[in-house]
Amino acid sequence: MTTTLTGPPAVAAPRRNPVRQILASDKPYAVFLALVALIIFFSIKSPYFFAADNFANIGRQTTLVTVISVGMTFVIIAAEIDLSVASILKLSGVCAALFMANFADNWILGVIVGLVVGALIGLVNGLLVTKLGIPSFLVTLGMLGVAKGLAFVFTDTAPVLMDNQTFFSVFYEGSILGIPMPIIWSIIVLVGGGLLLHYSTFGRKVYATGGNAMAARYSGINTARVKMICFVLTGALAALAALIFAAQGHASRPDFADGLELDVIAAVILGGTSLFGGRGTIIGTLIGSLIIGVLNNGLVIIGVSSSWQIAVKGAIIILAVAFSKRN
Amino acid sequence: MTTVESLVDMRDITLTFGGVVKALRGVSFDLRPGEVHALLGQNGAGKSTLIKVLSGVNQRDGGSVLVHGEETNFRSAQDSQAAGIAMVYQDLSLVPSMSVADNLFLGREPHDRLSLVRGRRLHAAAQKYLDEQGFPIKAAAAVASLPFAYRQLTEIAKALMGDIRILVLDEPTSALSAGEEDILFDAVKEVTRRGVGVVYVTHRLREVFRISDRVTVLRDGLNAGTFDTPEITMETLISAIVGPGHAKMAQATLSLEEGERRQGFSDPEHQSLTAAPVIELRDVTNDRLRGVDLKVRPGEILGLAGMVGSGRTEVLETMFGLRRAAEGQVIYQGAEVKWKSSAAAIKAGVALVPEDRHLQGLVLGDSIAANTALPQLRGLTRFGFFAKGEAGKRATSALKELNVKAPGISTRLQNLSGGNQQKVVFGKWLVPEPKLLLLDEPTVGVDVGARDEIYGIIRRFAQRGCAVVVVSSDLVELQMLCDTLAIINDGQVTTTAHTSEVQGEEALQHLVQESAR
Repeated sequence: MTTTLTGPPAVAAPRRNPVRQILASDKPYAVFLALVALIIFFSIKSPYFFAADNFANIGRQTTLVTVISVGMTFVIIAAEIDLSVASILKLSGVCAALFMANFADNWILGVIVGLVVGALIGLVNGLLVTKLGIPSFLVTLGMLGVAKGLAFVFTDTAPVLMDNQTFFSVFYEGSILGIPMPIIWSIIVLVGGGLLLHYSTFGRKVYATGGNAMAARYSGINTARVKMICFVLTGALAALAALIFAAQGHASRPDFADGLELDVIAAVILGGTSLFGGRGTIIGTLIGSLIIGVLNNGLVIIGVSSSWQIAVKGAIIILAVAFSKRN
Repeated sequence: MTTVESLVDMRDITLTFGGVVKALRGVSFDLRPGEVHALLGQNGAGKSTLIKVLSGVNQRDGGSVLVHGEETNFRSAQDSQAAGIAMVYQDLSLVPSMSVADNLFLGREPHDRLSLVRGRRLHAAAQKYLDEQGFPIKAAAAVASLPFAYRQLTEIAKALMGDIRILVLDEPTSALSAGEEDILFDAVKEVTRRGVGVVYVTHRLREVFRISDRVTVLRDGLNAGTFDTPEITMETLISAIVGPGHAKMAQATLSLEEGERRQGFSDPEHQSLTAAPVIELRDVTNDRLRGVDLKVRPGEILGLAGMVGSGRTEVLETMFGLRRAAEGQVIYQGAEVKWKSSAAAIKAGVALVPEDRHLQGLVLGDSIAANTALPQLRGLTRFGFFAKGEAGKRATSALKELNVKAPGISTRLQNLSGGNQQKVVFGKWLVPEPKLLLLDEPTVGVDVGARDEIYGIIRRFAQRGCAVVVVSSDLVELQMLCDTLAIINDGQVTTTAHTSEVQGEEALQHLVQESAR
């Protein structure tokens, strides 16, 4: 057959304006350029921004967003959403701290309790979405309230103080090869998430589930289970973020992290993951969460009021989504 | 008994839906290795049902299905796939955001013990498979970036992975352009060379002659003949498809008044034809149309015939402001218009009864009154408030005029039959009366009795001077209803004629098939 020799003309990428190609690419070049631009902007504006200390700061400050947004990337690629991550963080952190304070001052058991609580809430989310067919937006909006309320109930609205030095070192105060532990944890989660999403069979199932659920089912993929695992993963990662935060403040607080889900979703969307499912990368999410981190840090350094920071972040998210839709 | 062992041998298949509708009444069909066996028939003739029986989606009531010589009883598509039967539906089983390779191996990726997948190895395996099988596709390409034909090929390539001996293609070319078809046909020929048998379901007779070795025609759930393709003519095929007795139906008697109105459009001197057209497309070209010239005059019912995907719906959409003319002109009531949206067209007096009334025509959960008020909300606003009383009055008179069988104007649409729902769609356009009425498959899913009433409604619009354009796959319907006919193919008008010049459904079928590639 002759056609094999010539090959399909339409498949060869047409030569295009390189700038447009970068902007329209599936790979997160454009956001990376945006990150670089932001760094340059803040460096010009303030002499304190471009410093190793400050970058370590940004890394530490971004940890919570980075860790959770890896899970959120899976959920959003599977064409679902999880609005309850900040409340999962509260409840799982509180449970871990209460366990260590009241039952056994063993940090390993405490960590297990926290992670299990987070994963369980994720499982409940997943079950409600897949078994009852309730849209994840509603399920997790409800769970946002439920988990947050329970965290207040369990603690009587007061912070739960912690006193386990090993726990503090493992999750925040220690370092490996001079790299602070929160950044180590971020790297572990990013690499693990990247392997799972881009190099495992499960990752392909996630893309297929979000890209065309019908096709996925016709190919023998259990899309309900795939979504469930994505929610469980996100719940567990929110719990990990809770542990890191608790180690930082030597306490778990039920009144912390309100609105964190918006930063997380913003990071994922900025990183090029499609809200409609089927597309997205872990490296994109990393860049997205760094943008959020640089913005949070840079706006403070150049003295923008916290009220304006909120508005500026919101506007940037809208711009990013408008931009990605145009492409 | 056949000399070559058949891949598939279906004998005397019967299937009844819900104890009433006899979809198959004893159909036989066989498929030999390495042949393309075309399956033809009108809508409702039983083609789809037959291949669903083969694939296990539907279960037969009687008869036998032998695959590779063994009696089978498939309960699901998985069963038939395990027996080496692959079905290819339109663009159903691909994930557009993933690459061709990822799609080919979806759900069966080669992986190591940690279930990690090597992207490069996967791509190499996919490319090797594609090259071996002669599919001109790059494994690394994203499916979303592929032209339609290549998606279809990817679909076929995916279906053929594993030990597949029987391939079923259901109207694979309906969305393809001419060049794309060649690619598909080449791939099909390549596949048969390896001994795979292909069942090819289509409406296009030209393709039958181009690609098939044998043809089986179904009519009303029965075999209407199986032929060796080289030994038959298109005439034989068309009469097998249409069957005896249908020719008469198209000559249904018109009322005196109707006959006169129709007659007027055959005489170039008559005022019907000398009147200024309501709408005229002059050499209109856009992404789907290529140089379309059409005129519709007041009181004229113009029928657009053509295959699905020929561009007939796009002609309506262009007249309704949903598509713009990139080149050429749209002249409406004597002046060139450049409608930016359907709202502008509606305001100018154009009405569209869309193909899918559930999706595009009606709000099913809402009442009759709310639905009929929908296009005229501006006219039904009094001091900023919705004039519910006036809307109710209009709905009531619409019910009466259109003879909608419903308890009242507050009845929800979902509780009405298909025919009555369709009448309500017409009710949306009664007041103010449109100058141009566009109808896309106006009687799909409408029972026979209501069908006649809908024809009556359409004729009344025409008698009052409204220009009407009808798109329909039912050629008998076009001949009964329309004064003039235009055949559309590949975005072009290939023939225009007065209905009286086209005698019988066979002649029209012939025109449509002739113009299709």
